[in-house]
Amino acid sequence: MTDHPKLLVVKDLRTTFATPSGPLPAVGGVSFELGTNETLGIVGESGSGKTVLSRTIMGLQPRRNVEVTGSVLLKGFEVVGASEKEKRSIWGLEVAMIFQDPMTSLNPVMRIGKQIDEILRVRQGMDRRAAKARAVELLELVGIPSPAERYGVFPRELSGGMRQRVVIATALAGSPQLLMADEPTTGLDVTIQAQILNLLDSVKEQMKMSVVLVTHDLGVVATRTSRIIVMYAGRIVEIGSTREVFRRHRMPYTRALLDAIPKVSNPSHSRLVAIPGRPPNLLDLPTGCAFAPRCAYATDICRVQRPRLEPAEESGHAFACWNPLPVAEGALT
Amino acid sequence: MVRYLVRRLILLIGVVFIVSIGSFYLLHLLPGDPTAVILGTGDTPANKAKLFAQLGLNKPIWEQYFVWIRNVLRGNLGTSFISQTSVWSVVKAALPIDVEIIVLSQILAFLVAIPLAIRSARRPDGPLDRILGAGSFTLLSIPSFVLIVLLVLFVSIKLGVGHTGPSSYVSLSADWIGNLESLSLPAITLGIGSFVVYYRVLRSDLIATLQEEFITLARSKGISARRIMWRHALRPSAVALCGTAGVNIGGLLASGFIVQYLLSIPGLGYELIESVGLSDYLVVQGIVLVVCVGVILINFGFDLLTNIVDPRIRRE
Repeated sequence: MTDHPKLLVVKDLRTTFATPSGPLPAVGGVSFELGTNETLGIVGESGSGKTVLSRTIMGLQPRRNVEVTGSVLLKGFEVVGASEKEKRSIWGLEVAMIFQDPMTSLNPVMRIGKQIDEILRVRQGMDRRAAKARAVELLELVGIPSPAERYGVFPRELSGGMRQRVVIATALAGSPQLLMADEPTTGLDVTIQAQILNLLDSVKEQMKMSVVLVTHDLGVVATRTSRIIVMYAGRIVEIGSTREVFRRHRMPYTRALLDAIPKVSNPSHSRLVAIPGRPPNLLDLPTGCAFAPRCAYATDICRVQRPRLEPAEESGHAFACWNPLPVAEGALT
Repeated sequence: MVRYLVRRLILLIGVVFIVSIGSFYLLHLLPGDPTAVILGTGDTPANKAKLFAQLGLNKPIWEQYFVWIRNVLRGNLGTSFISQTSVWSVVKAALPIDVEIIVLSQILAFLVAIPLAIRSARRPDGPLDRILGAGSFTLLSIPSFVLIVLLVLFVSIKLGVGHTGPSSYVSLSADWIGNLESLSLPAITLGIGSFVVYYRVLRSDLIATLQEEFITLARSKGISARRIMWRHALRPSAVALCGTAGVNIGGLLASGFIVQYLLSIPGLGYELIESVGLSDYLVVQGIVLVVCVGVILINFGFDLLTNIVDPRIRRE
């Protein structure tokens, strides 16, 4: 390790829900590291465990019927196994979260300004006036017009995009070093999506944060992340620098995800590419590769033995596949 | 907002009229008339008829109603056939007792229901939640007239606490401690009935609210569970509670009447039941009117409170 200590070190993280039908491994052994001022994309279909992963990293998973093992070191703080009280000391100030749906993630009966400056007053003991001034600054930072007047409005008086900006301001209030963004643009209009992503980029630079961007849309992470994790059935199936994953991915699932992005250059009315089959049932995972039933390249070994993450040519790039795509074929056209 | 208030108010006036017509008509359907009470059963039919006409009871009902409502609109509730005192003085003496009982019962109910609902919602299906669930259900199924009898039996007879038994009402001006004692059992009885309803409504709403994404967001700010509960969860969960309380208090008046009657506490309920027995039409009419206006105003008040609690409702 260099003299840049890692901000976040995740080792063999497993999150298992106890359900009436048996244990459900939503996250099944995930390891990765994240440096300071870095943006990491976590990509996967619905149900691939990316949301549970991001919440487990924060220690925000549901409190009951959940078992978490492995390790999450956040600036040296071990999140796994920490009590709610211990985790509260890092929440908001070291790590903050932005949620998927800005319509439901703000308290509908609390003025937005109060929601932003709550952390300043409660956690940092700022007085009312100073906290309000800071909240107005934050509203301005996230691009809310006439922030002073907006301080006292209720969430329903704002559009979805504006609300997500307020959620971002809420997350930034405690000046965290790590921002977990769980599908921050999924609930928004396409035109607003780019604005919110640009905003995240710019606040990340201004506040020298690291960002974990969780999304199902590879298009979202393409230009804004330095590294990408592709998840399938609760496990990492490919990890690498964004450039490598796009240009020289080896895992057929990554390829399938890339193919599923509609391209403007396609002729109109051409069929959208979908991944055949459905995501696997986590209660009843196949013994081999979880993607094998949907994979065009699957062979016998794929169905019996699970592939491990193997390093590719470039350092930091790894994939879990018995029949990886040849490097040349993986190149995007 | 002002338009909304005015519209509500007009509606309320209509309700008061309809209720007063209804009660006027129903009252006259009752067998017996005040002349029998005033003159006794032995008097001559001629005297009865004379008194009947004097009281204005020989006119058609609708005319009697118009005479009455005209006086009411001029601020005159009339006089009692039996005691010849003004109806207003009867109401004035009795109403504060009802208000006191209800206020005390509601303070008790909310003071107990809110903290217990919060505890229960913190661990749904936990031991406390289960005990309270079963306990509140048991209480819900005991009618107030049974509860008051049990309370009298234990508190005033077994424990011998003063001024709590039947016919031991002490007025507020005479001795406020005695007054509190004499109204404590009615207040507890009504309070228990309200507590059960408030506890159940608030508990289930809190449990639903705590599943909301904004609660997770509040958690992710690192603020205490206590603050999340009181600042973030309670208010959005209190909407149904406010509505329920408004309706419940209307119902409380009725159970309050029975309890008052059983303990001979001279509140509106006691006076009402007495007056119905005496066919003292105008006293009954006056009390019904006051109660009706009271219930409507209470509901109106809670409507406003709901608006304050949840600004989402403000624009219907």
